[in-house]
Amino acid sequence: MTATLERSAPGPRTGPPVLDVKGVSKVFGTGNDAVVALDGVDLSVASGEFVCLLGASGCGKSTLLNLVAGLDRPTSGTVETSAARPAVMFQEAALLPWLTAGKNVELPLRLSGVGRSARRERAHELLALVRLEGQADKRPHELSGGMRQRVALARALAAATGLGEGGTTRHEPGVLLMDEPFGALDAITRDVLQAELLRVWEATGTTVLFVTHDVRESVRLAERVVLLSSRPGRVVREWATASDSDPEELHGDITGELREVISAHAR
Amino acid sequence: MPADTTTDEQRPGTPDDAAEVGRGLDALDTPTEQRTPLWKRLLTGIVPPIVAVVLFVVVWQILWASAIWPEFKLPSPESVFGTIGTDIADGRALAIVWTSISRAVLGFLLAVVIATPIGLLVATVPLVRSAIGPILTGLQNLPSVAWVPAAVLWFGLNDQTIYFVVLMGAVPSIANGLVSGIDQVPPLLPRVGFAMGASRSQSARLIMLPAALPGFLGGLKQGWAFSWRSLMAAEIIATSPSLGFGLGAYLNEGQSLSDMPSVIAAILLILVVGIGVELLFFRPAELRVLRARGLATGP
Repeated sequence: MTATLERSAPGPRTGPPVLDVKGVSKVFGTGNDAVVALDGVDLSVASGEFVCLLGASGCGKSTLLNLVAGLDRPTSGTVETSAARPAVMFQEAALLPWLTAGKNVELPLRLSGVGRSARRERAHELLALVRLEGQADKRPHELSGGMRQRVALARALAAATGLGEGGTTRHEPGVLLMDEPFGALDAITRDVLQAELLRVWEATGTTVLFVTHDVRESVRLAERVVLLSSRPGRVVREWATASDSDPEELHGDITGELREVISAHAR
Repeated sequence: MPADTTTDEQRPGTPDDAAEVGRGLDALDTPTEQRTPLWKRLLTGIVPPIVAVVLFVVVWQILWASAIWPEFKLPSPESVFGTIGTDIADGRALAIVWTSISRAVLGFLLAVVIATPIGLLVATVPLVRSAIGPILTGLQNLPSVAWVPAAVLWFGLNDQTIYFVVLMGAVPSIANGLVSGIDQVPPLLPRVGFAMGASRSQSARLIMLPAALPGFLGGLKQGWAFSWRSLMAAEIIATSPSLGFGLGAYLNEGQSLSDMPSVIAAILLILVVGIGVELLFFRPAELRVLRARGLATGP
């Protein structure tokens, strides 16, 4: 089976969802100043699925991601994740500047008490996966923006998948939450990293929930694009990006809908 | 399974091409670090201060030779360096400097032990911060020499008085340095730690403390400076045979004997110790920490 075929049939994936968001609302502040960031959002993501949350600024897509990551609590509704802990990647690489690339990747393993040699080996494996072999001893400031973001990806994978196939978490490919991870990169680097992310996703079978405001990025990456409205954030529509539909046409469709959602705020 | 991931895009080329492009980007975008050669660093770092000191001594010599001020007010460089020379030769200078340095170091270490938990508490517990944060800053601004009379009345003329004054000088700076170090940690770092499942103590140990290290080091450096000047103030004011003979007492003795070369020699020794500790310990430590984070600028 080729990757192309797999992407053309995103259809019903088997098994219970790894992420299940039910009727989630989030209100910031109280009284007249209260801002409804999310209003009754339902979203369920199957194991191994790649979903993009798309929306203009202020649509609460980052808020939703934070709720799924457990960094914040919903005002009402429930967030259920079957994965032990989803790993998060932010727009900034947020590497610890005093640690080498290798030690940064090791950190989540160190936090969960994995022994020195095992986590070292896993860090080398993951750095090789993101094509950074031989860079383990470099410090973040010695790497380019794109390389830093790949170290962050390797670290997120370490957090999501533990020791991988060799460890105890054998059949848990993990969940990756990404909050506009390529937003701060230049166009060429972004293009390369999108391809890298797809390669890594297919190689690992990780579930990805990816937040972006870039329609083209969402069409290229995701199997399913979920459009959120702004203030309050609600799910407007979903698209499956099967390969039999023309990406340009789909891009036009989604952009039209997004423009409509945004211009609704002008009235 | 072929790893062709870009079939849904009209992108020419194979994944191998993409990998090539990625490697090319890495090579192009990697920041290049230019290290200045050693001789150049020595030339720019050591020569200018030496020239400045030589110029200063020359001006001093000229002023002394022009005899504008009487000899007992402005001694010649020769007599001052002669005093230092004979003190060093008979071992007196070493004993005096050692008395003071050992006190300052002990007081400083004690201050670190006391100030670190205080700083941690102030930085992390909002109630503690609003309660004693302003007092800490106030104490940092209070010249610690103001504590000497009180300390003499409380403890008498002994080492306790000296250490009390040193602590009152150093503890607030070190604690405040730690607080500002922790305050300046980018909020994203503890968030990342939490997202990776760090417990509170893991977050403090593995993320917050290392992240706050540059600020803490700044506080330590200032704490040392405050220890040293507090000690000098205490030694000058509180003199007694039971207190031993440190640099402050040496300075005091010079004044009561109207021995100007001794007074200036004492000032120079105090200065040399201060600069020496900075150059031997704090500057290298700071450079190491900053360089590891890519924060050091200049040579």
